[in-house]
Amino acid sequence: MKNRIKELRARYGLTQEDLAKKVNVRRETILFLEKGKYNPSLKLAYDISKVLKISIEELFLF
Amino acid sequence: MKKEQKKLIMLMSTMGLIIIGVFFFYLIAFRKDDFDLQTLIFMALIFLILVFMGIIFIKRIKEVKEGMPLEDERSKKVLIMASATAFQFSIYWILSISIFEKFFADLFGVEYLDAGQTVGGSIFGMAVFFVIFYLYYNRKGDLS
Repeated sequence: MKNRIKELRARYGLTQEDLAKKVNVRRETILFLEKGKYNPSLKLAYDISKVLKISIEELFLF
Repeated sequence: MKKEQKKLIMLMSTMGLIIIGVFFFYLIAFRKDDFDLQTLIFMALIFLILVFMGIIFIKRIKEVKEGMPLEDERSKKVLIMASATAFQFSIYWILSISIFEKFFADLFGVEYLDAGQTVGGSIFGMAVFFVIFYLYYNRKGDLS
């Protein structure tokens, strides 16, 4: 699934590690999410969208 | 005590038990003067697994100190998938051990496999499959 995590993370000046700490996951999870190789759970998608101040529909491109 | 600390202690205990087990294995083999090629290969593989576990363990401690969680939804998924696949493969592994014992053992100069060798070989095979599949799923990305 494509997403805008990398773009929005850069906009807020967050590293993968920063975002991982904020949503309480490992850095690899953010890496695979950004590559579009891992589909997150609804909770994780919600947490990331909250940190990046955007709706889930806008963050993940279905 | 934090959840992460408890898990780390559990991991450390498991590693400790394996190290103690390997130590006694070495000790018994040394006392019996039983260092044949088969034993040495077996010990080398155990040593490799321990090194692999040690590297992962050190990496995890470092990450926990940096404020990362010890596990998350993806790592749990990797663990479950690696365990399940290793279990499936180990069924065929055990089957192949029994076929080997029945039909091919004498070709390699082995008369029969006793219960200890069979169970040890089966558990060891399971551990090797788990390491292989853990590495595979951890690098795979798409886990759906």
